[in-house]
Amino acid sequence: MSGRGDVLVLDDEAIVCERLREHLEKHDFHVETFTDSQAALDRLAAKRFDVVVTDLKMKGPDGLDVMHFVRRQAQGTQVIIITGYGSIEAAREAEFSGAYDFISKPFQMEDLRRLIAKAAARGRKLGRGAERERRQEGGDPR
Amino acid sequence: MFLGKLIGRRRESGDVESLRNRLKTFRSLIEGNNRVLELMADAGEKLGGEYVFDIQYLRSLAGQLEVAVREVVNDLNVLTGYRHNDLAKACDRIHIEIRDILDYRDSIPRTDYVLELDRIGIEAADAVGEKMARLGEIRRRLDCPVPAGFAITAFACRSFLEQTEILPLLEAWRAAVASSCGPECRAAAERLQEAIRKAPVPAELRRAVSAAAAAVQRKKGCTAFAVRSSAVGEDGAGGSFAGQYATRLGVPPDGIVAAYREVVASLFSPAATSYRRRMGIHPIEYVMPVGCLCMVESRTAGVLHTLDPSDPGSDTMLIEAAWGLGTVVADGSGAVDRFVVSRAIPHTVVSRSIATKQEMIVAAAGGGVRRAKVEEAGISRACLSEAEILGLAATGLRIERYMKCAQDIEWAIDRQGRLFVLQCRPLAAASRMDRKAERKAVVPESHRILMRAQGTIACRGVAAGRVRIVLDGKDLENIPDNAVLVARVSSPQLAAALGSAAAVITDLGTTTGHLATIAREFRVPMIVSAENATRVLPDGEEVTVDAEDNIVYQGIVGELLRDHLLARNTYEDAEEFRLLRKILKKVAPLHLSDPQSPQFTARNCASYHDVIRFAHEKAVEYVIGQAWLARVGPEPYARRLEMAVPLDLVVVDLGGGMRATRPGETVRLEELSCPPLQALLDGLQTPGAWSSAPADMDTDGFLSSATRIGPLIPPAARPLQNLAIVSDRYLHLSLNLGYHFNIVDCYMSEAQSDNFIYFRFAGGATELARRERRARVLRAILGKYDFMTEAKGDLVIGRIKAIPAAEIEERLRMIGRLIGCTRQLDVFLRDDDAIERCVNRFMTGQWDLAGG
Repeated sequence: MSGRGDVLVLDDEAIVCERLREHLEKHDFHVETFTDSQAALDRLAAKRFDVVVTDLKMKGPDGLDVMHFVRRQAQGTQVIIITGYGSIEAAREAEFSGAYDFISKPFQMEDLRRLIAKAAARGRKLGRGAERERRQEGGDPR
Repeated sequence: MFLGKLIGRRRESGDVESLRNRLKTFRSLIEGNNRVLELMADAGEKLGGEYVFDIQYLRSLAGQLEVAVREVVNDLNVLTGYRHNDLAKACDRIHIEIRDILDYRDSIPRTDYVLELDRIGIEAADAVGEKMARLGEIRRRLDCPVPAGFAITAFACRSFLEQTEILPLLEAWRAAVASSCGPECRAAAERLQEAIRKAPVPAELRRAVSAAAAAVQRKKGCTAFAVRSSAVGEDGAGGSFAGQYATRLGVPPDGIVAAYREVVASLFSPAATSYRRRMGIHPIEYVMPVGCLCMVESRTAGVLHTLDPSDPGSDTMLIEAAWGLGTVVADGSGAVDRFVVSRAIPHTVVSRSIATKQEMIVAAAGGGVRRAKVEEAGISRACLSEAEILGLAATGLRIERYMKCAQDIEWAIDRQGRLFVLQCRPLAAASRMDRKAERKAVVPESHRILMRAQGTIACRGVAAGRVRIVLDGKDLENIPDNAVLVARVSSPQLAAALGSAAAVITDLGTTTGHLATIAREFRVPMIVSAENATRVLPDGEEVTVDAEDNIVYQGIVGELLRDHLLARNTYEDAEEFRLLRKILKKVAPLHLSDPQSPQFTARNCASYHDVIRFAHEKAVEYVIGQAWLARVGPEPYARRLEMAVPLDLVVVDLGGGMRATRPGETVRLEELSCPPLQALLDGLQTPGAWSSAPADMDTDGFLSSATRIGPLIPPAARPLQNLAIVSDRYLHLSLNLGYHFNIVDCYMSEAQSDNFIYFRFAGGATELARRERRARVLRAILGKYDFMTEAKGDLVIGRIKAIPAAEIEERLRMIGRLIGCTRQLDVFLRDDDAIERCVNRFMTGQWDLAGG
């Protein structure tokens, strides 16, 4: 875990990833970015993140697939879904399905940063709880 | 008598109904006008770099604008009985242009086949490619030494490639590239390249090239050209394409066409194709603009990086140079001298590494290039003198400052020691791949923070310079280059200084105002509504403005500046930003500002802003000038205002602007519910502001007045009566006060971005010189209240927008006083000295401007 939290950003537009990475790193988040959703899923299988920020519509596994994957892992990772302009229905569906929140384009990067900060705090807390449970189930005395 | 007609007769209910409908239409037009302005402001704000948006947003924005503008045009036509069908046509033309942008149908602009370098600027990048567009820009704007030359445009290339000898092979190549990158693809590329090398160049293109080459030859005595690729997207956001496309050097004028074919063919080389694939660049259409520049008889040439990308922290520039042409520096095929130069001014040479240069590349006699032996004396000697190094460094930084990012510059020095810039491109684009893991620079704690998180960022960026506090017009004189302008309000008067400013900070202002829009155009970092910047930031202090994180540091934070020079503007390179910029060019510029100008026609509307401006003006003109208004019966729509000042004003209510319920023909001040009119009248009634003293007309002034043939204002634009068209938020006021004619058009609401004042003043009883002096008085006063002003003869136009309602109100009071006390002022303005005195008296509340 680094700085204010580990964040995975997934958007098939490299420029969006790049801009979010720059902005979040300035605010002391540790950020990994992916433009390919399968590569992001592989990374999520290998490493726990506090927050996943994902675009909703992508080729291959989409934002909802990513969210379901994260939820199955049950590590407290929070998912924020970015939806395209005017896709309110899709956003509602995302929220309904258990995303921490959604944000629609156009959005201000600072608004997303604030949302991520809140989600990261929650993600870390739930992550610690999940870790404790696992240890107890495994008989780890710590 | 107008009023008699207006309110004196009973009308049939049908007329009243008709009037009601027309006023409703007029009101709808005003609301539509505001809706368009709001969408424009919203879109402009997105360019500041704070937002992430997508193509759907742009499509939706275009759709909303189209609908809103159509409604305005439709309202105008309903109101005027379809007199302005031309406007609908102009509007359709703009809709189509915007749709073309969104569907990439505009990617190749229809231009001449050949454009001289003098006619090219950065805006021509789609036509001539980034490389030539940048060269044209620095030549034109910075007066940088660039060889003479011309560009063969993208449009010319399309015409060349569309001929029957090439087109089928181009289609086959596209199909092969789309499906694989294997041997079929290479074979298709070879067939296509071969066809391009052999195909005849269309006669018209051939003629244009010959004529352009002959012109350069004639003017500059140029006998050989460098023929270089300038592909759209080359040196741009996607990648540098360095070395991917062909260059032909030392080409004689009659060899340009053959060299052109070679350069165009290189667009389809397997190496370039694979590079594009690797970088994820997929052009909509494959065309290659080509640059033809006069060959420099190069004694020494090379490359300058204005920031050493391998060691940005060292704050140095890097120069690599060789004798002869710069080819060995670019392709690494020979030994080169290396100089490291400080970026700090005065520049110093930090280190030199002088190579043993046995050979050099020179232009061959019959065209092309050849290797040649370096003379004995030159082999181990530096190929640049100290003065040349420093001159080169200064030129490099000048370009960097203008382009606002670190530069990768190719240059040459000829036998007379003259420096030429051959190419400049962002260093960041070339090095972005290497920077992926870089973090934001850490600002040492020793830098004191002067301001943090105050206000809003209007244009992102980082810049440093000395603070220049600008409180009035005088402070705007002699502003040094690279100053950090700190002003109370984001006044459009600052716009003139913006081109050379490092950054702008204002206490008040919005991200959607005029100045913010201009700052974004110039890419000048800007923070608005920072509350107390003018008090916190000391005049003359060196500061670093971080308009990425909204912090102002004391002193120069080199770490931040260098990091920004390499990292900047990734957002500006995004496709969405490029499209939005293009769309806004069809939306926001206002070309029609003066309704009295012969250019003020529907046909001349080139942007949505022009369309709504025209519609608004014509609607107001119609409402004022039409007989239907004069036939109204005693409805509560139109009443004469009772007030002490003899203004003889009739108020026409569009809805919500009047509360007069009692019978009668008049309305009292307290029965008005139009805050803009109330504020203006409040100002007008300021004790002493309504000048009623008889004007002391001297002989010249009197004769001029007596012999004037009719009023200055064309009859069509003059109201029959002083008239205020009002609603609860809107005011259109037309005043005909003797020889003076005022228009105030204003919207005032809680939605700051909707608010505006348009003020127009013209006329006078005296000769032109005095009327002009009054125009100068008005202009100076309006400027002090942050209006954007224009003046021509005795005409003054002042505009301000997107300021809070309270600020609109304050300015309307001022306009009220101004109208009152400048009515007869021209008579007293016998010389220029009186101008400043009048302005000072007004600004200090002495309303008798001619007194003292």
